[in-house]
Formats: sequence, C-alpha cells, structure tokens
Amino acid sequence: MDKRILLVDDEVEVVNFLAHFLRRFKIPTIKATSGEDALCIYNKESISFVFLDIQMGGIDGLTVLQRIKAKNPDAKIIMITGKADTEHQDKAKELGAIDYIVKPLDLTDLKEKIDKHILQG
Amino acid sequence: MKRDYRHDLEKTARQMILVHRVDTLIRLILRTIMRNIRVKHAGIFLYDKYKDEYVIRVSKGKRGIKIPEGFAKIKKNNPLIRYFTDKELSSFDQDFLLYNRINYYLKYSRSRGRNDLVGFLEDLKDQLSLFQAKACIPGFFRNDLMGILFLGAKEGGGVFRPEELGFLSVLASDVVMAIRNAWLFEDLNKQLDKNKKLFLNTVIAFATAIEAKDKYTSGHTERVVKYSLIIANILGKTYPQVSSEFVENLRIAALLHDIGKIGIPEEILNKKSILNDDERKFIFKHPLIGANILNPIGEFKDIIVGVKYHHERYDGKGYPSHLKGEEIPLIAAIIAVADSYDAMTSDRPYKKALSKEDALKEIKRNSGKQFNPRVVEAFIKAFKGNKI
Repeated sequence: MDKRILLVDDEVEVVNFLAHFLRRFKIPTIKATSGEDALCIYNKESISFVFLDIQMGGIDGLTVLQRIKAKNPDAKIIMITGKADTEHQDKAKELGAIDYIVKPLDLTDLKEKIDKHILQG
Repeated sequence: MKRDYRHDLEKTARQMILVHRVDTLIRLILRTIMRNIRVKHAGIFLYDKYKDEYVIRVSKGKRGIKIPEGFAKIKKNNPLIRYFTDKELSSFDQDFLLYNRINYYLKYSRSRGRNDLVGFLEDLKDQLSLFQAKACIPGFFRNDLMGILFLGAKEGGGVFRPEELGFLSVLASDVVMAIRNAWLFEDLNKQLDKNKKLFLNTVIAFATAIEAKDKYTSGHTERVVKYSLIIANILGKTYPQVSSEFVENLRIAALLHDIGKIGIPEEILNKKSILNDDERKFIFKHPLIGANILNPIGEFKDIIVGVKYHHERYDGKGYPSHLKGEEIPLIAAIIAVADSYDAMTSDRPYKKALSKEDALKEIKRNSGKQFNPRVVEAFIKAFKGNKI
C-alpha cells in the first residue's frame, strides 16, 4: 500500500496509540512529535494523509497546516483538537483541513472517519 | 504458588481513605494491581456522568500499550460496556470478561445458530484487542456500571487465576467508591458556590436599594467596594490579619456601608444646599441605623463593625462612637478612605468634584488625623501603581 499516513502530536503516547489503531486496518504510518519534525518528514516522504494536533509547543498545528497547504493544496489533513475548541476548529476548516477529531476520541467515530477519508477515499 | 492478597488490599484501603482526588486514587489502585499481578499494562474506563460515556483515565505499564490519559472514550453501546450491562447477555459470565474465553463463547453461539451473538462477540474481541486487554473487571454501584478495569497480558503469559480475579474485583469496587466520593465532593462544592452566589447577589440587591434612594451617589457603592479591595490587596502583603476571609467580609461591608441611609428622609439625602444642624444629626445616624438593620444577622458580626465605624476618625473626632486610632477596626478604616476618596472625586449636590490628584493630596494631608496611616500608605501605593 502506498498510502502513508503522517501522525503529528507532541505527546508521543498519542501518536503511538494512533499508529497502533491504524495498524489494525493495515495502514502504514510515520510519526512526528513536533511541528518542525512534521514539516521535515512531509517534505521528504510521500504522505497521503495527515493527522495533526492543533496545540503543540514550537510550531503549532495551524501553522503546520498552512505550510503544508501552501506547498500542496490537495493535502488531506485531519486536525486533532484538545477540547470542543470551536474557534480553532473553524479556523482549521478555513485553512483547508478536511475534518477534525476531538479529544477524548470516540473510537467509533474515529473508525468511521478512517473508513470515509482513508479506506474509501 | 499461591499469594495472599489480603495484606496489600488492606494497605491500599488504608491509603485510600486519605485520598479524595479520583485520579490519585486510581493511580494508587493501578499501582497495587501492577505490583501484585505482573501484567504488561493496566488501565481504566471511567464513567463520566455529564457526558454519559466512558473515558480512559489512566493507563499504566512500561511494556504494554500505553494509552494517553483522557485520550479515548467509548459510548454506552460499545460492546465492552454492553457485555457487562446487557441483560440479554447474562448467559455469559458478566462478573469478568476474559479474552481467551471469547473463542469459547463464539463456538457456543455458533453451535446454536445465534448469529446476533456471534457478531457481538466478534466486535467485542476487536475492542479488546484494540486495548490489548486480556481481562476486564467491572465496577458497579447498584445497577450502574461506573468503571471497568482492564489488564494486558501477564508477563511470561499464563491465565488469570480465580484468586487474582477476586482480588481485582475488590479493587474494582474500590474504584467505584472513589468515583462516588469524587462526585459527592463535586456536588458539595457546587452547592457551596451556589449558596455563596445567592448570598452575594442578595447583598448586591440591598446595596442597589440604597442607591435607588440617593440619586446623587449612583455607582458610589461599586467604586467603594473596588477601592476597598485594592487597598486590602496591598495591606495583605504586609499584614496577615488581611486574610481571604477578611477580604470577603470587607467586600460585603463595603457593599452595605451606606445601608443605614434607608432610614434617612430623601429630602435630606438629596438636598442641594448645605445641611443645617438637625439635618446633619440625621446624616450622622446612618452608620448606627445600618448596624441595627444588620444586627439580627449573627454571621455578620465582623461585617457590621465595618458599617458601624466607617465614619470614625483616627483622631477620635468621628462618629458615632468617637473611637480613636487602632480602636477603629481595620475593616472600617479601609472603607473610610475608599468612601472619602470617592466622595471627593464625585459631584455632589452641594459641591463639585475634586481632581484625582487633589483628592490624593487631601487623603495624604489627613493621614493620622481623619485616616489610619497604614491605610493611607496602602492607598498611595495603589494610586501610584495606577490601580486607583
């Protein structure tokens, strides 16, 4: 499968758990634990999809989103938001994120989003 | 090799009495589990009564999967929850859920042509493998599932023995206790906040009643409260007497300092010319009238002195009791400065407002005469720090 998914969160446990979750659907992943890391990997590797945390130290998620979109307007990005943070969610959609997921993640929702955006898309 | 868990259970129970925070308690419980049954990881789904769903709160373990705290949640219709709560599944052992038992259940259900159960069990297996859980133990309060403990594989493999499951059951019921205690504390605190708010709003309603009567002093009460609290904030850095309780009392006393004006005829309050002696006598009564109005409220003892003595002077020439110097309670001495400053900087029926700077000069000039020097000092500090 050539679809590689980039997982970005400054909490290493979050990316690990997401990778573990996606592995169940045989989806290969690459992990990044900072915005800098994420941009670096995105530029080097062929990435079909990004899960991106909004709130990170250093370069935050919205900035990463903007930079990736500037480079590749077709990039598919799902944001991970800390809470029901509608301000950032709206902003992310405005900047071209295709969807967002809210912590704590409802695993059934997450599965549906993976089906909809990745497995079928 | 048998192990006696009683000792550890009792030790944990003893520690638990001291802990009120649900997260700390759960950490303690998980640590007890990890110490006694060597599993790769352990975690807990906790019921959130506001959202009506189960959130992973803590998961521990160096070797197994680590799920970030609060990262994932499952709904009530998740097979993991339904396994323990659905009455139709009572042919299974609902006291425990063991991963390696599911295959047996599956075989059983297939042999009876129960495709509904087969589907359910497949989903359940899938959920367990997502959390790499080999055993789940429910914690109930009456008929409500409050939480589920889940455990990864044992180090070196092996099945969970009956005495281990018994031990885990006791800990699961401890989790239930922890959550119920946490809720109780939350409810108590909420009730307390509600009462406080009700009380403060009642006092504010009284204060508004005074201002309705005295039309020239609109906003005066609010400003006296503001200045008083700013002064107290500065005094609090030097004088331990100015505690948070003192400040709360000060807030109420400042709100109510002029409540005695309710007993003074409006034509005197709103008179545009200088008052004659008789009228002035009436005005002098307002601190006492205020104290008398509030007197039946026993809890207001420390507040009433603020109302009663806010027109006393440091040199003893004030009213109603001609108290002197440190005889004047600090709460009243603070309100006196705040009240005078606002009176000086507001237009009144009989005089125009002073500028802020001139009012400050006036306050300074009266330090040790009309006002307590400690309070004046704090007031000057606040003024210079642009807080007033």
